[in-house]
Amino acid sequence: MSDRGVVFDLGYTPHEGERRGRRGAILTTYRDGLYRVFGIRRKARKKIFPWLLVVFAVLPAVVFVGFAFLLSTFAPEADSPFGGHAEYFGITGGVVLLFVALAAPELLIPDRREGVLAVYSSRPLRPDDYVGIRAASLLTVIAGFMLIPQVLMYIGFAALSSEGFFQALGTNFDEIPKILGAAAVYALAFAPIGLLISTIASRKAAATGIFLGVMLVGTALAAALVEATGVPGHRYAALLGIAEHPTQVSDWIFGRVGSSDLIVANNGFDPWISLVVILLVAGVSSAVVVWRYRRMM
Amino acid sequence: MDDAPILSARDLGHAYGSIVALHGVEFTLPAGRIGLVGANGAGKTTLIKILLGILRPTAGSATVLGFDATKNMLDVRSRIGYMPESDCLPGDVTASEFVIYSAGLAGLPPNAARQRASDVLTLVGLNEERFRRLGGFSTGMKQRTKLAQAIVHDPELVFLDEPTAGLDPEGREEMLNLISRLGGFGINVLVSSHVLGDIERTCDWVLMLDGGRVLRSGPLSHLVDADVVEVKVVGDPTSLIERLRDAGAHVETTGTRLYVAASTDPFVLVRDALAETGTGMWSMGPKATTLEDVFLEGSGS
Repeated sequence: MSDRGVVFDLGYTPHEGERRGRRGAILTTYRDGLYRVFGIRRKARKKIFPWLLVVFAVLPAVVFVGFAFLLSTFAPEADSPFGGHAEYFGITGGVVLLFVALAAPELLIPDRREGVLAVYSSRPLRPDDYVGIRAASLLTVIAGFMLIPQVLMYIGFAALSSEGFFQALGTNFDEIPKILGAAAVYALAFAPIGLLISTIASRKAAATGIFLGVMLVGTALAAALVEATGVPGHRYAALLGIAEHPTQVSDWIFGRVGSSDLIVANNGFDPWISLVVILLVAGVSSAVVVWRYRRMM
Repeated sequence: MDDAPILSARDLGHAYGSIVALHGVEFTLPAGRIGLVGANGAGKTTLIKILLGILRPTAGSATVLGFDATKNMLDVRSRIGYMPESDCLPGDVTASEFVIYSAGLAGLPPNAARQRASDVLTLVGLNEERFRRLGGFSTGMKQRTKLAQAIVHDPELVFLDEPTAGLDPEGREEMLNLISRLGGFGINVLVSSHVLGDIERTCDWVLMLDGGRVLRSGPLSHLVDADVVEVKVVGDPTSLIERLRDAGAHVETTGTRLYVAASTDPFVLVRDALAETGTGMWSMGPKATTLEDVFLEGSGS
């Protein structure tokens, strides 16, 4: 055999292996959505806000459990000044609001602005698939924000319980469906509106601003309009406080009706009305998003 | 590649409101490298969008690789690649990541996607730059990346929309060479371009659109190799013209330059007529017909 090097032109090799078709396309898009909202495989600056929000969402739960540990060690008779699962949704609700404001534009707008939708249009995906997967990525992350701290607290409080770990898990088991229900309500209240605004806005910063405006200014506007007592039916303006509806429903799920100072509650609207508003807004927002993308892809 | 048509259309039409983009389009295109040519507004992009399943035709139907483009959209999209004319590259990821992602979107498993992306980026000449972010790429590098994402999953057919747009002469040459090689890889190609020279360089079949209708469809060799002899004579060509017409030839003149077509071999006819009339000539040869000539003649421009 010659000891001289030989250069081979490998040319082009056809792919004769597995092709996963639509299933593969869906999994790839879903994974991309998760990477994208956390800035994974993106520049460092795209990682800062999402991971900061993760810390904001989880750290209080660690503090709650840590404080409960200190109390159980040094003052077993004292009650924790922090709340439980229901109160914690007040913290994560705000964090999720900020997260959706940043993540929903990141999921939809770059693909449109940079023309990447043309690539999706040549792959085995329907427009509905694309929108559904992007929504699933967002909902997955919202669920993570909502549920991971709750699981930490659930396990942490059980571990510190005087009745024993497994006994406490069983005793508090009825909290689990409430936690899941409240998380779903927050996700439904925020994600579809975030996606709708990101479908209409052409820039990420604009979408973030509009979303926060709708949520925060909307609540202030609702309060102002409710005060305008000269207008007939002015109390219905309370329903415009979109950001308050998930809190009202979450409190309802945990049996804390009337414990929060909410405009919507103070104007006589029952939690089920808030639930209907959330479902209605989510349905209309989702329909518009799908309609728009069917025209583009 | 077999003899089955890769693309066909029957009475295909599409209108944007009152504006008719395609009307009564009919064609059957064989495997190979197809050139789709036409002026701006001829309906090229609308046709490609219908073939990709993005637009629904308002009349007729089209098939891609034997599948109805509208009813079997996913079957079509599982077998094709698409290089759009417009930008389609996210600026904040590397070429390698984007091409791997494109392969995954086409259904390739992760390991195969990585391997194919590496191979195809090398093929298009981006091996050294594959770990650079796309936002910093030149136009030529972006065009190569767009081609890489279009073929990374080894499609049966790839649509290339204006693949040489914005390229400098060297980049254009390299892109045309790459397109010419695709046929050898077993990939059928539909190249949409208004640069007729590019189509002549790369394709073996041409579909011409004009005003939303099919102007011509046929093998490039049949369209440009017209059986016409061009002869430049010395002095007055009148007697030669009369002799040729008497012999049944069709003669067109431009000064002392004659274009002769005949049902028999026009070379023999011209040779004999030159000898019989004693007419001298500067040169004689087949008429150099370009795709542009065919297009302008067909469109009446």
